[in-house]
Amino acid sequence: MSWLTGFLKSTVGRKFVMALTGLFLCFFLVVHLSGNLLLYVGGEAYDKYAHALHSNEEFLMLAETLLFAAFALHIVLAFTTTWENKSARKTGYRKTESKRDDRAFPLLLAPDYTMMVTGLVGMLFLIVHISDFKLEFGWGLEDMTPAQKAGLIVSDGTRLIIYMAGAIALGIHVSHGLASACQTIGFNHPKYTAGIQLVSRIFGVVVALGFSSFPVMAQMYPEWFQFVGTVTTGH
Amino acid sequence: MSHSDQNLNLTLRVWRQDGPSDRGRFVDYKVNGISTHMSFLEMLDVLNEQLVAAGEEPVAFDHDCREGICGTCGVMINGQAHGPDNETTTCQLHMRRFKSGQTIVIEPWRANPFPVIKDLAVDRTAFDRIIESGGFVSVNTGQAQDGNCLPIPRQDQESSLDAAACIGCGACVAACKNASAMLFTSAKVSHLAQLPQGDPERSQRVVNMVAQMDEEGFGGCSNTYECEAACPAGVSVEHIARLNREYIKASFCSTAVPATKSK
Amino acid sequence: MSQMELHSDVPGGPLSEKWEKHRNEMKLVSPNNKRRFDIIVVGTGLAGAAAAASLGELGYNVKAFCYQDSPRRAHSIAAQGGINAAKNYPNDGDSVHRLFYDTIKGGDFRAREANVYRLAEVSGSIIDQCVAQGVPFAREYGGLLANRTFGGAQVSRTFYCRGQTGQQLLLGAYSSLMRQVSAGKVKMYPRREMLDLVTVDGMARGIVCRNLKTGEFETHAAHAVLVCTGGYGNAFYLSTNAKGCNVTAAWRCHKRGAFFANPCFTQIHPTCIPVKGDYQSKLTLMSESLRNDGRVWVPKDPNDSRAPQDIPEEDRDYYLERRYPAFGNMVPRDVASRAAKERCDEGYGIGETGMAVYLDFRRAIQEQGEDAIRSKYGNLFHMYQKITDENPYKTPMRIYPAVHYTMGGLWVDYNLESTIPGLFVLGEANFSDHGANRLGASALMQGLADGYFIAPYTVGHHLAGRTIKPVTTAHPRFEETKNEAKDRVDKLLRINGTRTVQSFHRELGQIMWDYCGMARNAQGLNQAIDKIRLIREQFWKQIRIPGSGESFNQQLEMAGRVADFLEFAEVFAQDALTREESCGGHFREEHQTSEGEAERDDENFTHVAAWEHVPNGEAKRHVEPLEFENVELTTRSYK
Repeated sequence: MSWLTGFLKSTVGRKFVMALTGLFLCFFLVVHLSGNLLLYVGGEAYDKYAHALHSNEEFLMLAETLLFAAFALHIVLAFTTTWENKSARKTGYRKTESKRDDRAFPLLLAPDYTMMVTGLVGMLFLIVHISDFKLEFGWGLEDMTPAQKAGLIVSDGTRLIIYMAGAIALGIHVSHGLASACQTIGFNHPKYTAGIQLVSRIFGVVVALGFSSFPVMAQMYPEWFQFVGTVTTGH
Repeated sequence: MSHSDQNLNLTLRVWRQDGPSDRGRFVDYKVNGISTHMSFLEMLDVLNEQLVAAGEEPVAFDHDCREGICGTCGVMINGQAHGPDNETTTCQLHMRRFKSGQTIVIEPWRANPFPVIKDLAVDRTAFDRIIESGGFVSVNTGQAQDGNCLPIPRQDQESSLDAAACIGCGACVAACKNASAMLFTSAKVSHLAQLPQGDPERSQRVVNMVAQMDEEGFGGCSNTYECEAACPAGVSVEHIARLNREYIKASFCSTAVPATKSK
Repeated sequence: MSQMELHSDVPGGPLSEKWEKHRNEMKLVSPNNKRRFDIIVVGTGLAGAAAAASLGELGYNVKAFCYQDSPRRAHSIAAQGGINAAKNYPNDGDSVHRLFYDTIKGGDFRAREANVYRLAEVSGSIIDQCVAQGVPFAREYGGLLANRTFGGAQVSRTFYCRGQTGQQLLLGAYSSLMRQVSAGKVKMYPRREMLDLVTVDGMARGIVCRNLKTGEFETHAAHAVLVCTGGYGNAFYLSTNAKGCNVTAAWRCHKRGAFFANPCFTQIHPTCIPVKGDYQSKLTLMSESLRNDGRVWVPKDPNDSRAPQDIPEEDRDYYLERRYPAFGNMVPRDVASRAAKERCDEGYGIGETGMAVYLDFRRAIQEQGEDAIRSKYGNLFHMYQKITDENPYKTPMRIYPAVHYTMGGLWVDYNLESTIPGLFVLGEANFSDHGANRLGASALMQGLADGYFIAPYTVGHHLAGRTIKPVTTAHPRFEETKNEAKDRVDKLLRINGTRTVQSFHRELGQIMWDYCGMARNAQGLNQAIDKIRLIREQFWKQIRIPGSGESFNQQLEMAGRVADFLEFAEVFAQDALTREESCGGHFREEHQTSEGEAERDDENFTHVAAWEHVPNGEAKRHVEPLEFENVELTTRSYK
């Protein structure tokens, strides 16, 4: 067995790949959320950002390919390792209860126990999201600025449910995922571990609140997302 | 006495399985007049005395030293490995932790690599094979230099001993939702990786031990840290992170390739 | 039968040169011939695992057996305090001779000089070997090895890993063993119980064992058999031993011709958690190392009903410090145990049963701080609190003596070979090094010395020096012996009486504790013998063992062990009865000074008593005189 196949076949090696892809996706979430927050600055800022992003075709392609690869690897490994992990115990317990005294949630709701569920919800959301923004499927968004498109989509009633569910699921997912990825790549130290845990939790909250803020705000303050004419006329 | 002597009446819902091929089932038993000073295993002794007197087969369970160090005992008690207390083996658990009238569900460790032998006793030889694959320093008797030739910083020795404290009971596997043996394996890897004696073989050791752990059919680690909470020896998940580091380093920066033995 | 002479085969010459001289003279097996020899090692504690690993490294084919599910679980693992070695690292005047002398004196001059000297000689190598294996011994801040003091010594020579030294040493030996398993030089047979020894032409050539998982009987042949199966403390039912510890392997060897030496020499450890109720299944030791900082006391007023922390200094009787000012709380175990018994018998005992004394850390905590005490004894305090629900940082521990270690065992010569050629006995299972009392931190030393540094030489000497004809398990003696073992098991299963194994074991234990415990007298011992015979008879009529012999059956395992304890206990009492003196752990009430100290009879009892099994008759007592050429027999005084 070559060292690389050995590594990639091992549970530790595959978790390492999951951790790296996960960390990369977390980084992407940060960039993505920062960009989106420009919507609150104004349609112009957002449009400028979008144009800048799209003006560099090569960079965009590279980024999208990397992103797609990371998602694909992360998802495929999630399915295979979860399947293997489940089948490592053919006969289950009648009863299970945590012995950790720092658990805030019962196991059924705990982030680390629900990674598959939150990941799946996130993935479903992602399909809708790509279909909305990338493929612009079923919206009729011709002749609209990026901000106008975004305003229209996040103001949609069904998107409120889907985007909120997606954002919260991802938030829960990364609240365990970030710290877990650090542990998996071996980054654990008495001085930093508590900090990593905290950052991971805060990150989860930021992701959940940040991304769900758009559809929520669009319902509460529809006028904020009316970007009609802002592109051409400006303030 | 600082605490009152009380007697408990309990219902025990015990997993009974005649042998490895039997399907197994839960059977309810009543035990009365259990002193709160009894250990959990002494309570099972009482049940067994009762069963033998009634001409029934007693409940098989593994145990030996009954002072928490040999790692032989271990059952799931109401869904918790070694019962509700932290840093406690089943033999150290005392009945003062239970209330009269309670039903206690008692199950064996469950994991494919730990097949049930009978009732609550399981086969943990998979752990021996993991150690066999590299959990040692290759030094023959008589080869050693003076013990003081290798100064070891006290904090390294202490931290190494924290890992070496593992008693090999299997609670980490039992408590893990993935039946992962990462805490067990990492305890040995970490013990030796922190000492100069373990250094020459560190890469080959971690690569072999992980390969053997996977070969045995244990699940992977998803960092839920239930193992640490269940560990009677207080082995920390810090050691899992060290194993990860060692493994990544060994895989990418050394010439070590895994050599496994099948079961 | 004529009186058989016991040859200890101690080499001549000055004490300090004996072992080296012997090593130079022993026959060697050449490297390429080693693989032609098979060796059986029974038991995988410190002695067994160390021997199996070392013999495997040398190139022999080793088969190792243990009743536990893994060799890592042998009861050596429970040793807490430490391991002695004459390294003199603290520069406090230690030497091989001092360790030798302390051990001989601690054993009340009832051990063989040459064996003990050799033990002290190899003690340093043990530490080196363990360090090389990665045993994380305690270190000073500069990174060098730390030491602490143990009972019976005035130097600090005990190496330790917190309160879990035995665990770390065993895991070291176990890892070496597993390395040989992986190299294919040792084949491991866990969950096997040795039920008999197979002798061919008077030589040990194999064993019969039962696979505890499947109930199958197996036979294994070899050129040498090493029995490393520990002590027989569980004859007392309640002891600090693991539940599975038993005398069966040793007893079966005895019945095949190996002499049993000094069975009455049993160590009662002074610091154990007292008995709570009749359901109690075992006793837990609190390491002797605690006496480094803990002070033992009882209230001066037997009717003092105050909580211990409320009793002021002037109302406390620190009886060990009072009686033995030179050693204080660090007197040897037998002395400390008897002193506790004396206080309790006089009515000063504490607690509901009056069978306990205090072990108090107040002063140590005041002087060194709670953290220092925690780092030294944290796991012991934790263990104590788990069991008793009391916090020893706040309330003194309650302790009482309990059966701990057995100095007696199968008789062996200087080569650790029993009276059956080819049968070697190592560790606690033999009688050789501790005389009538073992000093703390010396059991680990002896087990590892035997396994790493003595047996690998002397077993080779046996293999190279004798004509050993080829024998396989096809030899009729194997089938015969197997059938005898099988018949015994079948007989147990057929009785189908009314009583449980445990009830017999408890009953035997009570007799042993009452009549053969910390203080013994002729009348009690005679009564014990009658009672033991009676229970033995009842056992074989009334025992009930549910289930079959063809599967995992723990009641059956226990029954076999208790059956052997019931035979063994009688020899134990006989030995105690015939040793008309007090020495070490053996205290005959008829033989004490006016101050209640043990009174030895050197004129008549400076010997090892070795018992020979006589089929259908009473065991026969042989003696091996002990000659002391290098130390003067003195009255042990720790005052």
